[in-house]
Amino acid sequence: MKTLLKNGRILDPSLGLDIAGSVLIEDAQIVEVGAEVDVQGVQETYDCSGLWICPGLVDMHTHLREPGEEHRETIRTGTQAAAAGGFTNICCMPNTTPALDNPALVDFILDRASAPDAGGVFVSPVGALTVSNAGVHISDLAALKKAGVVAASDEGSPVQDSRVMMRAMETCLQVDLPILAHCEDRSLSSEGCMNDGSRSALLGLAGIPRCAEEIMVMRNCLLALNTGCRIHILRVSTWGAVEMVRQAKYLGAPVTCEVCPHHFSLTEDDVGEFDPNFKTTPPLRTQVDVDIILQALNDGTIDCIASDHSPYAPYEVEVPFQEAPFGLAGLESVVGATLTYVTHKGLLNPLETVRKLSTAPAKVLGIEAGSLSPGSSPLAQVTVIDPNVEWTFDAARTFSRGKNTPFHGVPFRGKAVLTFCGGEIYRDQLYPSARYQVELD
Amino acid sequence: MNNVLSIRQTPVDVVQTLLTAAGEFKRSVKKSGPVKGLPRRTVGLLFFENSTRTRVGFEQACHYLGYRTVNFSGSGSSVKKGETLKDTILTLRYERLEAVVIRHSASGSCNLAARYFNGPVINAGDGWHEHPTQALGDGLTVIERKGKIDGLKIAIVGDITHSRVARSNAWLFSKMGAEVRFVGPRTLVPGQTSQFPATVYHDLRAGLDGVDVVMALRLQLERMEEGLVSIGEYRRLYQINRSSLRSAAPDAIVMHPGPMNRGVEIDDLTADGPNSVITEQVTNCIFGRMASLAYAFGDVRAAGTGGLT
Repeated sequence: MKTLLKNGRILDPSLGLDIAGSVLIEDAQIVEVGAEVDVQGVQETYDCSGLWICPGLVDMHTHLREPGEEHRETIRTGTQAAAAGGFTNICCMPNTTPALDNPALVDFILDRASAPDAGGVFVSPVGALTVSNAGVHISDLAALKKAGVVAASDEGSPVQDSRVMMRAMETCLQVDLPILAHCEDRSLSSEGCMNDGSRSALLGLAGIPRCAEEIMVMRNCLLALNTGCRIHILRVSTWGAVEMVRQAKYLGAPVTCEVCPHHFSLTEDDVGEFDPNFKTTPPLRTQVDVDIILQALNDGTIDCIASDHSPYAPYEVEVPFQEAPFGLAGLESVVGATLTYVTHKGLLNPLETVRKLSTAPAKVLGIEAGSLSPGSSPLAQVTVIDPNVEWTFDAARTFSRGKNTPFHGVPFRGKAVLTFCGGEIYRDQLYPSARYQVELD
Repeated sequence: MNNVLSIRQTPVDVVQTLLTAAGEFKRSVKKSGPVKGLPRRTVGLLFFENSTRTRVGFEQACHYLGYRTVNFSGSGSSVKKGETLKDTILTLRYERLEAVVIRHSASGSCNLAARYFNGPVINAGDGWHEHPTQALGDGLTVIERKGKIDGLKIAIVGDITHSRVARSNAWLFSKMGAEVRFVGPRTLVPGQTSQFPATVYHDLRAGLDGVDVVMALRLQLERMEEGLVSIGEYRRLYQINRSSLRSAAPDAIVMHPGPMNRGVEIDDLTADGPNSVITEQVTNCIFGRMASLAYAFGDVRAAGTGGLT
C-alpha cells in the first residue's frame, strides 16, 4: 500500500526542510520525502497544494482522565480529539484516579490507547513523580520507565517540599527521565481562582499572585542546575517565569519550557463576568505577560507549545466561578490558536511553528516522533495543515467530552485537516474530497 | 424584567432612578403604609449564607410592596444534599417563582443564577463581589443627611478586599459624582485597584482628610486568624473614633453596614454619637430593596426622573 501526499509545503525542522514537495508512505512507513519522489504504484493520493506537510504534532501535556474520571474524558475520546487536533503523539498526565504510579496502570493505558476504536495516536504515559501524587515518597521510577513512561511529573499536585523535589530529580537523573514540573507554591495560590490583579479585585475573587508560579520556577531551575536533572517547566504564564527560564538556560541548567495557547492569546480581562470557561491554572495573566511570552516564543526561550488539555464534564463547569475546577479543554484548538495568534502575526515562521508543536516536544521527551525522516518513527506520523482556512471553533463539534474551552465561537485562521499515524486517522471535512484520490486496481 | 446584580453594571440613570424610587417609597410607606395597586408577585428569598438584616429587609420590602415571599435557606435546602446552584435555580424557576433574591458566598453566583432563571434575579450579597441593595440604602441615607452625593468626599475604611459593601458603595457613590477613597492596611486592600473609581490610602488620617462621609467596614475575625491583620494594630491605626474623625469635615456623617464590632473598627461613642447614621442605614436599606424589587418587575420607571409607575 502506497500513499502519496503531493504538492505540499514540507516543513520539517528536524531535517531543516522548508520546500515544496511530496511525502510517500509505504506500508505505514515514510519512505521518501522531497521535491521529487517516486510516484509509481501509488494507491492513494492526497493533493496537498496550498497546505503544509509536517511531522505529526506532539502534545506533551494532555489529561486523558482515565482511569477514574471517565465522565470527563476517556482514552478513546481523548485520542480521537488529539487526532482531530493534528496530534499523532500525546503525553497523558499521571494525576488520574488512582495516580499513574505503578506499571500496571501504564500497561492499562497503553492497552486502551491501542484499541481499534481509539483515536489511533500514540500515547506516551507520564509517570507520577511521587506515590499517589502526594509529594512525599518518590515513585518506583525505574519500574515505570521499564513499563513505558517517557517522563515523570507532579502535575496537578506540585511537590512543595524542596528536599523531596531534589531527591526526585536525583532519581530521575539516575533513570534518565525528564521531569515535567508543575510550578506552583500552593501556600500562595491556595485560595485563589484567577490572576491576582485588577480584574480579581473588581470581581471580588481571591487572586493567585504571579510569584506563586515564579518562586517554584526558580526553585526547580536551581534544583535542576544543582542536580543536572532535565526538567521541563509546564505552561509558563508570567513574564517573570519566562525570565527565570531564560536565566537558568544561560547558567547552563538543563531546562526547557512550554506555553499553552490560552496564555499567549488571552488575558485576565477575558474572564469577563465570571466565565468558568476561562478558569485555568496558572491563571490568565495580563497583556504584558502575553507580549513577553510571544517574544520568548520568537527568541526560543519557550521551547514548546502544549495544550494542557484539561476536560471537565459540563455540570462541573456550570457553577460559580470560584467553585469551578481549573483547566480548559484544548487539543482541538491548539493549531488554530497558534497560527492565528502567533504565526500569522509574524512572530514565528512556519518552520519554527512546527518545531514548537512537534520536533521540540519530541526532543524534550526523547521519543520517536517529530520528524519526517524515513525510519525515525515506528509508524509514519504526518500532519497536514491548511494554514489559511478561516473557521470558527465550535465546542459542540469537538471529539472531547470536555466542552470547557475559552475559544468557543472564536474565529481562527489555520487548521489541521489531515492526520496520519501509520494510515489516515483523521480527515477534516474542510479537506475537499476532490483532493483525495484512491486508485483502484 | 430587570436583574439587579451589581451597581457597577447598572447605568448611572438607572442608579439615579433607583435612589429616587427608594426615597419615594420611604415617603409613601411612612405616610400610608404598604404600597397599594402594584401587581401581586411571588418572590423567592434564597439565602445560602446566614443573614438577619438583609433577609428581614427583603421580607419587609416585599411586605410593603404587597409581594408574597417564599423562603429558602442553604442549610435546609437540597443544596445540602449535593444539588448544584444551577439545579436549585431551575427548580425555583419551574416552581413558578417570579423573582429570586440570592445571598451566596461565591462571587458571581447571582450572575450564574440569572443565566438559568427566567425572571429577575436580585443580588442580596455574593461573596466579596457586590451588595447592591445595601448600597442603595446607604446612598439614600447620604442624600437624606447631605442633600446630595455629587461633590462629596467619601472614605470607606477597613477590609476593602473582602467587602462586597465597599465595592457596591464605591460604584454607587462615584456614579453619583462623589470622590471615593479606600482606606485600610495593605493586607486588606487589593494590590491593584486601577479599575476601581477610588483612590487608595493606607494612612487613616490622610484618607479622612476633609471627607464628608466616613464608612467603617466590619473587620471579620477570620481575617485575624489568617494573619492578615492584628486586632490591636488595626484598632490603633484604623479605628473610627473621636480622635481620627478630627481629620474629617466637622459635619461628617459616620456610616457602618453592620454588624459592628464595637471597640474594634469603631468605638462606642462614635457608633452612638450624633454624627452616626448607622440605624438610618438599616431602615433605608428596606427602601433600597423595595426600589430594586419594583424596578426588577418593571414597576419603576426605567430612567429619567424616576418615581413609581
